[in-house]
Order: sequence, then structure tokens, then C-alpha cells
Amino acid sequence: MSKRVRLCREDDIPDFCAQGFDPERHGFDTIFVVRQDRYYYAYADVCPHYGDTSLPWKKDEYLDAAGDNIVCAAHGALFNIRSGLCTSGPCKGESLRPIPVNCEADGYLWITLED
Amino acid sequence: MNIIGPDLLVFGVDDVDACRQFASDYGLTASGDHRFVALDGTGIEIRSKDDDALPAALETGSMLRKTLYGVADQATVDAIAAELEKDRDVTRFDDGSIESKDDHGFVLGFQVTVRQVLDMPAETINAPGAPAQRGVNQIAVSKEDSPKPRTLSHVVYFVPDAPKQEAFYRDRLGFVTTDRFTHVGPFMRPAGTQDHHTVFFIQTPPHMKGIEHFTFHMGGPTDVVTAGTNMVNKGYQSFWGPGRHIFGSNWFWYFKSPFGCNMEFDADMDLHDEQWAAREAMPGADNSQVFLLQYREKWAPMGPPPPKAGA
Repeated sequence: MSKRVRLCREDDIPDFCAQGFDPERHGFDTIFVVRQDRYYYAYADVCPHYGDTSLPWKKDEYLDAAGDNIVCAAHGALFNIRSGLCTSGPCKGESLRPIPVNCEADGYLWITLED
Repeated sequence: MNIIGPDLLVFGVDDVDACRQFASDYGLTASGDHRFVALDGTGIEIRSKDDDALPAALETGSMLRKTLYGVADQATVDAIAAELEKDRDVTRFDDGSIESKDDHGFVLGFQVTVRQVLDMPAETINAPGAPAQRGVNQIAVSKEDSPKPRTLSHVVYFVPDAPKQEAFYRDRLGFVTTDRFTHVGPFMRPAGTQDHHTVFFIQTPPHMKGIEHFTFHMGGPTDVVTAGTNMVNKGYQSFWGPGRHIFGSNWFWYFKSPFGCNMEFDADMDLHDEQWAAREAMPGADNSQVFLLQYREKWAPMGPPPPKAGA
């Protein structure tokens, strides 16, 4: 079973920024979305290094200073924003788990979560 | 080799402002243009990764650029220089310090220590059967406590050849192995301190080479948990802890950081001398801690006032 969840308005995420979300109300962010112009990339907030720790050192701090890479703050792993592939760091060659995300006609971002 | 411990860790970071704010919120005090220090003067140096003043980065891009050790006296610095010059370049600076590299290419410096001798009480406890450490009417805690890191404690490195690293620190720099995780690597202390470890080396694939975490000693377990709670309340995210390790017995709480590694608070580490026989254990969660707690928001077993009888 899968379910669709409305996250936020498209423009709620500033351009070239990232934002974490807690769509299943765990009390902490479990996914994050990176915006690059009209494109949105969503991933599970889990670093593949240990497989059960989250990435940011502070809420929404998922990107490096230039906004070029996703960063895991635990050990500095870098991930390609579009593919989720780790290009440097402990989990080099592994990838973040992508979450399907769409901009709908209602102006909101929707994600699809698997049970 | 009377090496006391790390005086300074030099970082070349991606986001200087974030790192300076993090260091300040962690409890370190700004000192000069680039440094943040603990109460005894040991600390970290934060520079932009492009700063020409930095030693070159490791090929992996780890943000740690140099580990500067404090030693007892200039004669010790000179003795280390003479030892290392047998097989590698050693740079001598005008301030008397030297710089070289270990067998994995980590830049090391050695200087007469800047570490000031602290004269302040440890965290105190009262326990039945023992003399009270806090006298009558002396309270232990308040909600406003903001404990400061006391001294730079230890650094953990990912290294591709832990046995080679252990041999270099033992044979060339006089470090002693205090304990060991099988197939992972050794905890080591230099000859000038009794602290259980100032380094721990973790065997990893070569692409991981770099710093895993660093930490400062706090005044006790309450300081660790209070300082960590203050970090959580400022929005920083816990990585592991609070808890208490087995090897070293130190309390811990690790936070993710913009330094490309975790930054820990630790306290109450075991002391050892040459009589100690190193232990060995398999790595894993069960051997890494005696207990692990997890932060949650303040809560109390209190609901609304009870209804009046008969209402």
C-alpha cells in the first residue's frame, strides 16, 4: 500500500534550499526535499553509512554552503542532489533513498509513501 | 616522549559562520580571529577550506587539517623532531613548534603545551556511606546552568591501516594502547597523560580516511547532559547519546556538526598507568556502552487538576 501526503506549497521551500518534513508525525523529520528552481528532489532522511541516522546538524541543514551537494553532518558525506548518489565520504557509491515527489495543479508538493 | 595531549585541532571548513556559531553554542570561547578555546586554553581553529594558512587537505576532503599536540617542554619538541626527521620531512616554525605527518598523511604539530593547569572542583555528588561532596544547603543544579568545556580530550580517526597507525604512535611518539576493539583498532594515550585515550583509530576503507569525532572533557556527567540539552534546545541534532562508554568509562553525547564530523561532550574518563593491561573486545553496541539514553522534551506526570468530588 502506498499513500499520498501533501507536504507544503511549492514556494514554501526557497530556491536552492532544502527542508525537512515529518509527514508521519514521528516527532522528527524523516524526509527532506531539495528545491532547484522548478525541480524538487525528495529523499528519506537516512544516511546510508549506518542506515539509521539522519543527515543534518540542525533542522533543514541538508546542503553545503554553496548549495551544490547534500551533506551528512555526521562524517561529511556528500551526495549529488539530483541522483542521491554519495560521491565522497563513508558511504561513497551508495545512494539516498528517493521519495516520489510531484508538484500538483493545486500548487502543493505531494509525496508518495510506501507502507 | 612526554606528549600530554592535543592542544589544538585546525579545521578548514565549508561554512565558517556555521562552525563559529556551533563552537560558541557548544560552549567554547572565541580567542583571536580563528580560535575557540576551552577553559584551559586548548581548542579548535576554524578557517575557510580555501585559506592559504592551512596545511593541504587529505585526498578524502576531511575538514581536519592538523592535530597540534602539546608537550612538556622544548626539549621534547626537539626530541620528536629528531625522531621524525629519520624518515620524513619536519618543518620548524619560529615559535618553536614543529610540523610533520604520520604514516597516513595526517598533519601533526608539536609545541610546548598551552594547556593551563585548571584549579576547579569536579562535579560533586552526595552518596550514603561516603563523605558529602556538597555541604549542607549547597544545591547541585539550576535550569540556567551552562557548563563550559574544560579541556580538549580526544580525537577519533578513520584510518585504512589501524595496525600501522598504532605502530607509528607507539614506536615513534611513545603512545600506549589502553584497550582495543578487535579488527577495529586501539585506544591510545600519550606518555604525558593518564587519560584512558586521547586517540582512537578505526579501521576503515581508504576513502573514509579522516576525522570521525572530537571532544572536550566536561566537569562531570551532569555537565555532559546539561550541555547537550542546551544544544538540543538551540536546534542542534544528537547523533548518539547521552550514555556511558565501557572502554574509558567516559560519559558521552555526540552531536552532528558542520565540521564534517561529530562533536562530543565527554566526562569522567578512567585514568591508567603502565601497570594497566589493555583489554580487547569485539566491537558493537553491547560493548560500546553500559547504557544509552535518549533525549525527549521535558515532560512530567501531570494532567489537569482532578475534578471535584461529586462533580
